[in-house]
Amino acid sequence: MSQVEKRAGLLRRTSSSKKPLKEKVVLMYDEIFAKEDPAKNNPRFWDELFLMKVNLEYLESKLESVDGEEVQRIQDNINSLFHHCVQALGEEHQIKVVNALQTLCALFRGVHQKNKSASGFDIINMLMGFDKAEQRMKDLMERLDSLLCGDGSESLKSLCLKLLLCLVTVTDNISQNTILEYVMINSIFEAILQILSDVSSRGQHGYDAVVLLALLVNYRKYESVNPYIVKLSIVDDEPTLDGMGMVVHQALTEYNRQYKDKEEENQGGFFSTLTSMVGSMFIADADEKLSVQTNEAILLALYEAVHLNRNFITVLAQSHPEIDIATTPTPPTRPHPQHHLAPLMNNPELPLDPNLQTSNLLITFLKYASIVMQDTKDEHRLNSARLCLIILTCIAEDQYADAFLHDDNMNFRVNLHRMPMRHRKKAVDKNIPSRPLVCAVLDLMVEFIVTHMMKDFPMDLYLRCVQIIHKLLCYQKKCRIRLHYTWRELWSALINLLKFLLSNETTLLAKHNIFHLALLVVNLFNMFITYGDTFLPTSNSYDELYYEIVRMHQVFDNLYCMVLRVSTNTGQWKEAASKVTHALVNVRAIINHFNPKIESYAAVNHISQLSEEQVLEVVRSNYDTLTLKLQDGLDQFERYSEQPKEAAFFKELVRSISLNVRKNVSLNTLSQDVLLKEFSTIS
Amino acid sequence: MREGRHVTSSLHTCTDEQPVSLSNIHSQCVNEGPGELSLVIDAEVAQRACQEVLQKVRKSIFTIASVLPLSLLQVEVDVGGSQNGAGPEPALSVTIVKPAQIQIREVEDDPGSVKSARRRQRHNPSKQSWLLRLFESKLFDVSMAISYLHNSKEPGVQAYIGNRLFSFPHDDVDFYLPQLLNMYIHMDEDVGDAIKPYVVHRCRQSISFSLQCAWLLGAYSSDMHISTQRHSRGTKLRKLILSDELKPAGARARRDPLALTPFCPAVSGSGEHGLSPSKRTHQRSKSDATVSISLSSNLKRTASNPKVESSQDEDSSSSSDSLEFETGPPVRLAPQREFIKSLMGIGKRLATLPTKEQKTQRLISELSLLNHKLPARVWLPTAAFDHHVVRVPHTQAVVLNSKDKAPYLIYVEVLECENFETSSVPIRIPENRIRSTRSVENLPDCGMTAEQRAGSFSTVPNYDNDDEAWSVDDIGELQVELPELHTNSCDNISQFSVDSITSLESKEPVFIAAGDIRRRLSEQLAQTPTTFKRDPEDPSAVALKEPWEEKVRRIREGSPYGHLPNWRLLSVIVKCGDDLRQELLAFQVLQQLQSIWEQERVPLWIKPYKILVLSADSGMIEPVVNAVSLHQVKKHSQLSLLDYFLQEHGSPTTEAFLSAQRNFVQSCAGYSLICYLLQVKDRHNGNILLDAEGHIIHIDFGFILSSSPKNLGFETSAFKLTTEFVDVMGGPDGDMFNYYKMLMLQGLIAARKHMDRVLQIVEIMQQGSQLPCFHGSSTMRGLKERFHMSLTEEQLQLLVDQLVDGSMRSLTTKLYDGFQYLTNGIM
Repeated sequence: MSQVEKRAGLLRRTSSSKKPLKEKVVLMYDEIFAKEDPAKNNPRFWDELFLMKVNLEYLESKLESVDGEEVQRIQDNINSLFHHCVQALGEEHQIKVVNALQTLCALFRGVHQKNKSASGFDIINMLMGFDKAEQRMKDLMERLDSLLCGDGSESLKSLCLKLLLCLVTVTDNISQNTILEYVMINSIFEAILQILSDVSSRGQHGYDAVVLLALLVNYRKYESVNPYIVKLSIVDDEPTLDGMGMVVHQALTEYNRQYKDKEEENQGGFFSTLTSMVGSMFIADADEKLSVQTNEAILLALYEAVHLNRNFITVLAQSHPEIDIATTPTPPTRPHPQHHLAPLMNNPELPLDPNLQTSNLLITFLKYASIVMQDTKDEHRLNSARLCLIILTCIAEDQYADAFLHDDNMNFRVNLHRMPMRHRKKAVDKNIPSRPLVCAVLDLMVEFIVTHMMKDFPMDLYLRCVQIIHKLLCYQKKCRIRLHYTWRELWSALINLLKFLLSNETTLLAKHNIFHLALLVVNLFNMFITYGDTFLPTSNSYDELYYEIVRMHQVFDNLYCMVLRVSTNTGQWKEAASKVTHALVNVRAIINHFNPKIESYAAVNHISQLSEEQVLEVVRSNYDTLTLKLQDGLDQFERYSEQPKEAAFFKELVRSISLNVRKNVSLNTLSQDVLLKEFSTIS
Repeated sequence: MREGRHVTSSLHTCTDEQPVSLSNIHSQCVNEGPGELSLVIDAEVAQRACQEVLQKVRKSIFTIASVLPLSLLQVEVDVGGSQNGAGPEPALSVTIVKPAQIQIREVEDDPGSVKSARRRQRHNPSKQSWLLRLFESKLFDVSMAISYLHNSKEPGVQAYIGNRLFSFPHDDVDFYLPQLLNMYIHMDEDVGDAIKPYVVHRCRQSISFSLQCAWLLGAYSSDMHISTQRHSRGTKLRKLILSDELKPAGARARRDPLALTPFCPAVSGSGEHGLSPSKRTHQRSKSDATVSISLSSNLKRTASNPKVESSQDEDSSSSSDSLEFETGPPVRLAPQREFIKSLMGIGKRLATLPTKEQKTQRLISELSLLNHKLPARVWLPTAAFDHHVVRVPHTQAVVLNSKDKAPYLIYVEVLECENFETSSVPIRIPENRIRSTRSVENLPDCGMTAEQRAGSFSTVPNYDNDDEAWSVDDIGELQVELPELHTNSCDNISQFSVDSITSLESKEPVFIAAGDIRRRLSEQLAQTPTTFKRDPEDPSAVALKEPWEEKVRRIREGSPYGHLPNWRLLSVIVKCGDDLRQELLAFQVLQQLQSIWEQERVPLWIKPYKILVLSADSGMIEPVVNAVSLHQVKKHSQLSLLDYFLQEHGSPTTEAFLSAQRNFVQSCAGYSLICYLLQVKDRHNGNILLDAEGHIIHIDFGFILSSSPKNLGFETSAFKLTTEFVDVMGGPDGDMFNYYKMLMLQGLIAARKHMDRVLQIVEIMQQGSQLPCFHGSSTMRGLKERFHMSLTEEQLQLLVDQLVDGSMRSLTTKLYDGFQYLTNGIM
């Protein structure tokens, strides 16, 4: 007790120096923490309490300092406080509502802070009392719901969302937050959607709403029925889904913009030393603004939307200039013919900036991914990169998404960010042609493949990357889409990857099953070799494939030697390696078939170094004597499934997000001077 | 005689035996604008007047000029009666009523006015009777009516023809609408008075006619001086139409439910808020989901007709009596006007962007915004059937090649309907509806079984039974329709590998020859219809090259409305900043010539494409499908025209090539004549299209008759006939070339025979026009001379030979192409 008083005193001293006089509200808190019912002597106690400015720190520290013994004593009073908070939310007097919301925040946080190890049930008991908990939480959620959906002050809505975020993130592991069970029963899903569907409220609260939704969806995701998952999966209201997409879009765009500014700034300063720059130029001064951590929640929301809600896929392709577009706000009260016409007449004038590129969520996401994937050393970046690839996996598996990725009429210039590297010049942005979006996805994959061959090999990311390419190829084969893409870049990237695996065999084998990755890569080549007729854009490209394989035959030869060696020895990799030997059969057939032909051609024509055209000529004229073996299941893939493989990753990710959100909520929201000012003028 | 307080009912008495036509009579009985809506004539007086008039008619025919129309009406009754044995038609009753009304006017309102007296004097009975015979005859068609309306100075004749218009089929008169309105605007009062009742009558009947009139009136008034324009008749009528006061007479006849229902304005009005469905308001999405799901279940499978708007509409239309008193802004015409305005707005904004690529992207995003407002009670006026626009597949839109303006081509998905004014607007199906059914069932990881789900909340419909056939699913289930190419086993494996390979019972390895793969690749590449390579600087080439059928199929597959049986795809070119009045004139002439040639059985082929004039500097064009410009052909294929024909249609002896060649010749002959007669200039390869069947189609009639581009004196030849064209025809000595010349001769003879039908169209439009094609005083004379009425057929043949030779040898054509290449990059 005395310690608390001291702290309170210290706090006081900052504002008015000498007298250790307590604020009225602090005195009232003390009364609550006494044994007696505070309303006993003062029937208007609760009314008065919520008229006082909340002293969050005092209340929280008071709660924290309650000992196990005392808990029993004061539980009635705390229950009562909680009860009155909930009741105050229904008050007309907005100051009371604000204070009640803040008090609730403090209650949730204080009680959890104190009882980190305690079971969720104890916490519920302490806050609300077991017998009344259900009713109290029902009331609370209903009040919050009506505040969020009502016409009330925007600041109030914001505070409601903060309270919810605060409640959702009080525990490190969201699934251990038993109170959320009541949030599951008393869903506020609809309120969140409403916020997202309305333009103005989306602008102000969209971010919080999306983060809240992403977190709620992850509550006991794998153990029980989470109604938020089910509800999110069936939303099909376009404005709402658009709204959600817009929030994600804006958050990612903002990050991309900041990154670009930063990059330009740095380039200006270090232009002379540009050549000496290697990689990671921003990681050193981990700027808070550029932290990817803040976007983990948004990325998670994007993932959940893409993964759970198939309708959301259309939002990805919804093209719009980079502004917030009004979604026909129609007052619901008066259905009148003119209302519909109004938006038609004032068609929102889009800004006429010729430099403004039309964009969509997918493009923004790809750009974002290209930045995040540049460096994966930092744990958060690694997580973000992984999540980006998971999202791309979901997209690549989706029929509709594939359709618009390959839509020849939807051409875009996508400026992916490329890591500055010593051996290559930075691509000039302007030369990027306008192409179907799938080209950008493939570019991103190729870019990742060539830039991450390092000691600390991100095997997991490589696997995802190669699988995404595979899924796209399967779609193209299936639908006979002949994409005009420079496949050669992909082929040479993949061959280089094999080369890297070979040269670092021993180090890599210590940690990873490199044979699995090698198998996937070889099978990509098999896709091209056996099914190239269904999706290659020109007959020439098939010749080029053979050229590339023959040209780089050494890599395949070495790979074959290596896998043969491993598969003949007994060891843990025996089986994995032998699969690769089988997969290599066609590549080896090609090499064995054409190499002698090329050599004899050179000998006959007395040429030491054949030109590409000459080799291609040899290839073209010798197809007929080559027989290939058709391999099983080349165009089959394992569909993405979150459980069980990814469950651990998402658990950790959600934990990290929770911590981050909690930190930010506590930092910037609960000093509500502005808010109080607003209401003091209203009331 | 309940409503016996106004004109309508007084006239009603005349047509007592035809109560069904009441609304018709209503709508046209007041022909002097809204001011006279309140005109009240005592029923008995009117009835007496009618009878008086009828008696007079019986007694003394043809004596008094102003009775002329009335006398005719007798004849009309007979003719009409014999034509429509089934019973009196509305149009028929109209002819009865109209003159009667005029008579009433003259008798009741100003019996002794100077004007009517003058009329009486001027008419020569014998001439009238002669004319009358013609007018009575079955040969008298709209074309003649328009001609007499234009040429006759007799107010009586004009008034008669004004009345006679009511008896012609709407479509026939609609063809001459530009002429009618131009006469209304620019000719004297009598003609105007004769035309107006008809126009007003039609406007009351039809929204689309109203808008059509308003647009044309605006466009053709624009050449007047600004001060006179403001007070001109045309402007006034336009205002009247746009004020939307020319509603169907429903408001007055409201008590008569039969006449009321089809034209009740409240129905169309309520349709408007019906198309912002309640879900767009911010309701809870849970209920949204269920609402839309229940709708979709209504739609599925049996959805032969779009779902009628929700009960909300019916409520408001049933309470339309109260709406009647509201004096809100007009809603009858508004949606369509707004739709057109948005399209024009897009065009204007596009024009400010520098590159084609930016324009295209911008166009796509603008259209995707527009999509949010659809479906609505809007339609494409260029279409031939009634429909509602439901969606603009925005990614398909392309910006067309133009130097400084930004015309663009959009495809529009519509649902055909009975009548776009009265049929309900289709309900919106969200973009993603087509796939909505997959939501939960594919989520093994959301940790619940179907039972759990069904039990866990009542609001979530059970998706498991949902068998919506049109939900497209993932790659694995995707069905691709491919042409059967080969039946050898390898190919089957390649195509159906998913099924075949995994369940490979026999462990025997399958071998394929690399050569086969390579061969299949090149064969399939050759088999796929040749497409042009995408070029950001010429985005329209690819879009236009794609066969129309294929495009329709593709767009239909991707559309949430595609499953509806009345789904159709239309396309339209939106032009903003271009005057299409000359195009419209050319369209009319082409159509006239086409029908003349058809009538005379001359196998000339031309393709008039529909033009919609919206104002003096904007409009829409119906694109020619399956056609690309010669410029695009040459640029993308890098072949000569003949080689391109060989590539597209096969070798010179094949059936396909021969029929393409015949098409080419017939269309060449047709357009050569058109170019000669109309003096079509600016014939570079960008303005000549080639369709998939080998026809050429000339587009862009910006320079016709007296105007020529920049007056450089280029293009002196009669028409464009390059050696490339002649090569396709098989050279100057071939049979096809002779056939070409013969066709031209036949075509010219046929056209000469019906010269008046062509001249009339042009002549009327010259009235009051500042269009460059009418520049100078010799336009009509020149046009007439080119029909060479005085020549014998032998002389005509000589003339054709001369024209052809001249055009072939013409250096200027070549020069002009070179000039175009230098200035516009057109090959």
